[in-house]
Amino acid sequence: MATPRDPGMDHTSTLEKVLRGVALTAIAVFFMFPIFWILLMSLQTNETILRIPPSIVFEPTLSNYTALISGKLTSAAGTLDIAFMHNLWNSILLSTLSVLLALLLGVPAAYAFARFKFRLGEFIAFTLLSFRFAPPLLVLLPLSLIFQYLGLADTYIGLIWVYQLIALPLILWIVRGYFEDISPDIEHAYRIAGHSWLNTFLRIAVPLARPGIAAAGLLAFIFCWNNFIFALILASADKQPVTVGALAFVTASGIQYGQIAAAIVLSVTPTLLLALYAQRYLVEGLSMGAVKG
Amino acid sequence: MALRLQALSKSYGGKTVIDALSLEATSGDIVTVFGPSGGGKTVLLRLIAGIEVPESGQVLIDGTDMTYATPDARGIGMAFQNYALFPHMSAYDNVASALTPRKLGESEIRSRVNHIVRLLKIDHVMGHKPRELSNGQKQRTALARALVGAPKILLLDDPLRNVDAKLRYEMRLELPVLLRKFGSTVLYVTQDYKEAMAIGNRIAVLIAGRIVQVATPSEIYDRPATVEVARLFGDPGINLFDVTPDTDGRVAIANAQLSIGAEFASAAGVPCVLGIRPDAITVSQTANGATFPVDVVAETPLNDRSVLLLRTADGKEVLAALPASAAGTTPIGAAHAAFASASALMFDRASGLSIARGARP
Amino acid sequence: MTATDATSPPASAAQSPARVRLLPYLLSLPALLVCIGILLPFFTAAYYSLLRWRLNLPAMKGFIGFDNYIAFAKDPAFWNTVYISLLYTVLTVVLELLLGLGIALLLRQSTRLNNFISIMLLLPLMTAPALAALMWKLMTNPNFGILSYFVSLLGVHDFKWGSDPHTALFTVVLVDIWVYTPFIMILLLAGLRSLPKQPFEAAALDGVPWSFVFFRITLPMLLPYIITAVLFRLLDSIQQFDIIYAMTQGGPGDSLVVFQVQAYLMFFQNTNVGKSAAMLMVLWLITNILSNFFIKHWLRLRERAHGHA
Repeated sequence: MATPRDPGMDHTSTLEKVLRGVALTAIAVFFMFPIFWILLMSLQTNETILRIPPSIVFEPTLSNYTALISGKLTSAAGTLDIAFMHNLWNSILLSTLSVLLALLLGVPAAYAFARFKFRLGEFIAFTLLSFRFAPPLLVLLPLSLIFQYLGLADTYIGLIWVYQLIALPLILWIVRGYFEDISPDIEHAYRIAGHSWLNTFLRIAVPLARPGIAAAGLLAFIFCWNNFIFALILASADKQPVTVGALAFVTASGIQYGQIAAAIVLSVTPTLLLALYAQRYLVEGLSMGAVKG
Repeated sequence: MALRLQALSKSYGGKTVIDALSLEATSGDIVTVFGPSGGGKTVLLRLIAGIEVPESGQVLIDGTDMTYATPDARGIGMAFQNYALFPHMSAYDNVASALTPRKLGESEIRSRVNHIVRLLKIDHVMGHKPRELSNGQKQRTALARALVGAPKILLLDDPLRNVDAKLRYEMRLELPVLLRKFGSTVLYVTQDYKEAMAIGNRIAVLIAGRIVQVATPSEIYDRPATVEVARLFGDPGINLFDVTPDTDGRVAIANAQLSIGAEFASAAGVPCVLGIRPDAITVSQTANGATFPVDVVAETPLNDRSVLLLRTADGKEVLAALPASAAGTTPIGAAHAAFASASALMFDRASGLSIARGARP
Repeated sequence: MTATDATSPPASAAQSPARVRLLPYLLSLPALLVCIGILLPFFTAAYYSLLRWRLNLPAMKGFIGFDNYIAFAKDPAFWNTVYISLLYTVLTVVLELLLGLGIALLLRQSTRLNNFISIMLLLPLMTAPALAALMWKLMTNPNFGILSYFVSLLGVHDFKWGSDPHTALFTVVLVDIWVYTPFIMILLLAGLRSLPKQPFEAAALDGVPWSFVFFRITLPMLLPYIITAVLFRLLDSIQQFDIIYAMTQGGPGDSLVVFQVQAYLMFFQNTNVGKSAAMLMVLWLITNILSNFFIKHWLRLRERAHGHA
């Protein structure tokens, strides 16, 4: 949908075109450069990195990645075991299972909110919405104590449960709108045709809301993956996802910078790829439908 | 009794939409539910289907109380006004969906679906999705879905509304034949009075949530129960005059005293509304004791008739309908109009109820 | 209309309306459990904030009412936290708003180039803020960081970025801008593209100067989107944890101890449950007031946005 040009300038002057080009280039550089640079760093050996001035032209190497993937880092100081792959696996496990659970719990609930007006639904919607803006530590700090008490500290189950606090509100919010968009008469027609409520939900409502469910799931996955503070407080070394793991990686001694860069690249690539794939849904999900584009 | 509705009531947000409504239909009966928009026709169907639940009253299907039964347990078929086809399924799957809950074999389902879609002449579009179909095809697919299960009760919510005129006239002829073939008890909702008269054995006139009259089409036309019913049936609409008959059965129209017959003696002195249908009014150049003076203002053709716009001395407009063969035979200007007293319909002005001929005072 | 469905929702085959009414409750049970999982710790934290309790001094645990809060009022460290948090919030939100608006205006036309750029600009937003901080930490490393190098080319040597109390705030604000400006940009771009064309076409025909169009037509129509974006960012910025913690853990010294970072340090370094809970309750109070205002007016803003769309 093209918008008309600013009035008073029927034809863009060359100056305006140049300025606009310069501005756009500057913006593109500012936002893309860090990613590009870290990618570059991940392909450099330590000595290349430490060279001043920094070089763009160099001999790329995959040694950083192989070190991470193999889990072994051989340096002048000896061989060190790197558990980063385990962090990656934790991220995959936690994000995937959390989203699956949130979908399982959230999609039926979203349907209930869309189709029925009941006070419990209003209460749940209000609570989840108001806590979207509340400081996470407020819930996490007592939770860390409660978890110790319940024996859930440092367990995958505990983490997946806590990750519901991230994924579930998102799914409820987005999927509810998609269910509301389905004409109720379509569901009525299926019921009149002789099908039970459950069949109607599974074969009519859910398939018709599938784009919304997919969008919500993808978005929830990205948010779970990017989460830092939940895992920082409630996970110990062997359960940490990449966000926490990368930080620990940096502070551990004897690690080479190239590997840090490679670790960062491996950590952000999944979400960046997913974001590119699902970018159409991101506006809606990020603002939680605050403004319909 | 295939379908019995007993004192059904339904309101939304304090507004009563269905008001103590009762209706009966025998097996195989085709009842048209007709009335102005907002009268509650769709709500009535939804109550029978189980999509809505009444505040009071009962829905009995074959004698069983189904007032609160879920829609899938009622054994009904319904065609919605906006079709409500499943957009993600093919037309075939849409129709077959009414059969899949029953434990029939794949081939049995296919033969039943093929049978009905062939009858409705949509067999060639079964592979398409709903969005690829025309309105007429969508409507017939929705109809097929409602019919394929041979339901005891068939609810049709203005199915011809969004169909183009030519197809609508065709369906108006084909549908009754089709419906009778299936033998279900049918409730057919429409806002078109001609459709109501063409399709139903009986017409239930639903106004403001109440059934005002249930009768055969000719009874509704010839003996409407209220002024509103008289007004709703007929095109052009019935002519209405506010009169008060005297003891001799005469009323004053345009300063002329005309007789409406002695059968309305009970209405003497009562403020009434006199209704004369346009086709019961004759226009001539000669005056006699049964005419009143009018001015012929204009003449326009309407379908197979010619309608004259007449105006009386006191400014009232009257419509007269002549057969098309008589078109153009009436000169513009002063003339005299008359009507046979036998065609007069009388209604109490306060209540709107019809006053029967020969009623006792 | 869902209003009509409320009285008789589709339900599993049953004859009585009572069981029909149970269905929505059953369906939303797990969501309810999550709510409880949020509310329970919340009330626990509220209670803790009224205690004197350090995990390493369990014997001294006791109820002290609002003493933690009163102590804050007299505590310069608390006010330092408030100051830093507000400064961080104002800087990030204002700068991101200006930059985001500018970019959105540049990308307003729906050309292939513009759409490509706006998609690419999503990427910083989708990066985990903690990892973004790490990336910038590497880039600002005094030994090999590319940014240190660039800055040295401009004649500034030994720019300490995150390791100096005077420049640390600048550094983390920079990271925040990098991550979150696209958020504002996306919202405002969606808003800009949904504005009706007629006022702008009419203004072009009448030869109205661009400044008038921008300030009197564009901005007012964009206001719901701007307010939405700003409120979202205000609420997130004042609670920022990931970027600051990953960059400097609140240091150097106490130059970056915003609310949540401070509360974290109080809890895990000083094991002071009471004080950290009180600090978080103060933060919660601030965000609650803001978000209540937002939620109350959100629907109204949304309606206006719908009206323009």
